[in-house]
Amino acid sequence: MTRPAALEVSGLVVRIGAHEILSGIDLSVAAGEVVALLGPSGSGKTTLLSAVAGFLSSAAGEIRIAGELVSSPDRQAPPERRSIGFVFQSYALWPHLTARETVAFPLRAAGIGEDDAGRRADDILTALGIAELAGRRPADMSGGQQQRVGVARALARDAGLYLLDEPTAHLDAATRRAAEAEIAAQREARGAASLYATHDPTEALGLADRVALMRSGRIVQTGTPVEVYERPVDEWAARLTGPVSVVEGSWPAGDAGGTRHGRVAIRPEWVRLEGSTPATVAAVRFRGSFTDLTLDTAVGTIEARMPGAPQQRRGDAVTWEASRVWWLPD
Amino acid sequence: MRSATSSEADRLLPAPLTAVPLVVAVAALVLFPLFDLLRTMLDAAGGGSLVAALDTEAIGNSLWTSALAAVLAVVIGVTAALVTERSAVAPTRGLRVAVLLPLLVPPFVSALAWTRGFGPGGLTDDLFGLTLPGLIGPAGIVIVLAVHAAPLAYLVAAAALATRARPELEWAGRASGAGRRLAFRRITLPLLASAVAGGGALAFVVSLNSFGIPAVLGVPAGFPTITTRIFGDLARSADPAAFRRVLMLSTVLMALVVAVVVVVGRVVRRAVTDAPGAAREPIPGPGSGRGVGLLWGYLAATSLVPLVALALTGLTRAAGLDPWPGNWTLSNFVEAWSGDAWGAAGRSLVLAAAAATVATVLGVLLALSRRRRSGGMGIAAAATFAVPGSVLAVAFLLAYGPWLRDTLLIILLAYLAKFWTLAHRSIAGSTAALDGDAVRAARVSGATGTATLRRVVLPMLRPAITAAWLLVFLFGLHELTMSSLLYGPGTATLAVVTLEVQQLGDVTVTAALAVLLTVPGVLAAIVMGSRRRGT
Repeated sequence: MTRPAALEVSGLVVRIGAHEILSGIDLSVAAGEVVALLGPSGSGKTTLLSAVAGFLSSAAGEIRIAGELVSSPDRQAPPERRSIGFVFQSYALWPHLTARETVAFPLRAAGIGEDDAGRRADDILTALGIAELAGRRPADMSGGQQQRVGVARALARDAGLYLLDEPTAHLDAATRRAAEAEIAAQREARGAASLYATHDPTEALGLADRVALMRSGRIVQTGTPVEVYERPVDEWAARLTGPVSVVEGSWPAGDAGGTRHGRVAIRPEWVRLEGSTPATVAAVRFRGSFTDLTLDTAVGTIEARMPGAPQQRRGDAVTWEASRVWWLPD
Repeated sequence: MRSATSSEADRLLPAPLTAVPLVVAVAALVLFPLFDLLRTMLDAAGGGSLVAALDTEAIGNSLWTSALAAVLAVVIGVTAALVTERSAVAPTRGLRVAVLLPLLVPPFVSALAWTRGFGPGGLTDDLFGLTLPGLIGPAGIVIVLAVHAAPLAYLVAAAALATRARPELEWAGRASGAGRRLAFRRITLPLLASAVAGGGALAFVVSLNSFGIPAVLGVPAGFPTITTRIFGDLARSADPAAFRRVLMLSTVLMALVVAVVVVVGRVVRRAVTDAPGAAREPIPGPGSGRGVGLLWGYLAATSLVPLVALALTGLTRAAGLDPWPGNWTLSNFVEAWSGDAWGAAGRSLVLAAAAATVATVLGVLLALSRRRRSGGMGIAAAATFAVPGSVLAVAFLLAYGPWLRDTLLIILLAYLAKFWTLAHRSIAGSTAALDGDAVRAARVSGATGTATLRRVVLPMLRPAITAAWLLVFLFGLHELTMSSLLYGPGTATLAVVTLEVQQLGDVTVTAALAVLLTVPGVLAAIVMGSRRRGT
């Protein structure tokens, strides 16, 4: 009855030379689910995607795609035997092929005739709104156009699992929003699952059903976007997932009543400019739909976010309180 | 005439200080000799006797041996590049250096070493009674030319694999469902096509210009090539017919080289329209460890065995004895130094050092004036490198012979003409130091032009300057083609003396001299290699 997970990684270890790049990765992606790998550069995101795709062999652990064992220490299926589509960070477009030839390549590799493959490639390019690129080579495309052709090629594989390596890292803001929408629409249309590497928390939280935080080749936390944002496992995770102030002090201990002393994470939007505790406005930055304030308080520097245009100026005396706090482990 | 982006602030030295030496050098080293050669040819052509002097046998021999050697060199070079650049498992740093080592052995020493390794009475003959048939003759010429040109083809192919046929492009093919073979055929191979053409042309030109290899392996078999004919005829240049043949063969050789450079240059330029790649984390290639062992085996067979055989011959008391410790002696080395060798070695060192120093200074000047109207000079410097050594030597004899015949100076000038571009290219490659921003940053920090040069640009260029000096020094030390045409009484270089001893037939002393000629180069390479690792 239940469909097998699109991806199941257990105990995965990858070494390159003497370096252990991935240490005991456990991760699953359900059918139709989008999981974001969020981590700084060098945390192993690309390595994990490469191992899932079969570009790298693993030293230990197993990888299953749609229930099929594709990688174990004894047996590593080559990439062409894994049902995946891959969007490369560098686009990895072939300089000698036009967009149509590029998108037709996976179709031809699957045994479809040349004319048929060309027609279907045109269909995919049209669906992505880049039909006019069909006859162009990468040297004649902008970065955003190359990006879309890279996405089109991955979609042509018609796979159950898409692996996307920083797919929007090199795009300007407008193209980036369009690309994000395209990827989301494709997922909904085909019900395919995606594993999505990014270093941008806004992108990860906005796009994914679940987020896995990666640090130094390990997954330190997995959860829904709201979970990882509101309940980070430690200070590092808190800072990775968005703006935050980490301070030490005494705060109401919640349901039990009373107060508790310790280190807490406070998101800017949890701060209210009311109450009894005094603070000084140290900096004001207008961002358009909201305003960021930096407050000097008795417990340290606190970042606050207020809707709309600035109501305060630098140097103003204000009062503040936190509508909520998240206790960090000691 | 200055380009829009450069300004007064980019000028580090007063213009005359850079321009005058460069203009003098281009005129003296490039324009005057080549013009004189052309004028003499046209004069002789006016006599109408040039076509009669056309030596079709030597031209044909040069063409087909070089073409075959180029094909072999490309196959070896591309295969080696796929092994070293696409290996995900084995550490290939040492292998990369080893592939390039044949460049550090003078070509005629390689040819000698092959005869000692695989020829009659050589190492494999002594050990197993095996010899390589046809080693003295065209087959041997093709093989040794190919082994010598392969590192050049390798360099071109390895660069293309790193920048053009990048691993992730092949991975993208695999992730699109193509098997290993299909992805290689449809993606990697087409992307390597221009490198194959460029590497092949380079190997062809280098083989065509080679003198040492056919001199050792062709002359004894009565197999003439253009370069050995020029050498033989120039020795009898008092004979007008022989001199006309020299002119004719020089013209043909020059024309062939220019044709190849122009045609392939055009093909390669058309192919290079790479997409502006985005920044990327590298993904290792799909290579397996198997090729690594095969490549080491190839290098052992083609470089190590011949060189060891050469060294053993140098240590053996007499030709014909087994090269084992019982028959070992140092007397060949002693004898090698008894003749003109001391003087020749001294001359070689002085010539190489002088050429390296002047060429490096010229290279720095040319690189510094890079941003201003110096494109033509760079091309002029590079042009003489493409000119075959035999032709260049003939041109220098015609231009400077009346005053400088039989002097070290004429040899030095020829070295400078030939190797200037090597120094320039090494230095011009350090773009960070020559990039306008480094200079402008120094100027806005308050440094004067000369202070910027002394405290910013030259320190940044220092590794490149060291490399350029060593490169020219090595090439100068190993140079045989031009030296053998330009030397006179009392100006023979060590390479020339070694060739003379070889032609007299003294195998063991030749081997000793050849070893002495090769060792400094290998040592310099090790010094250079370990330095580079340090930085």
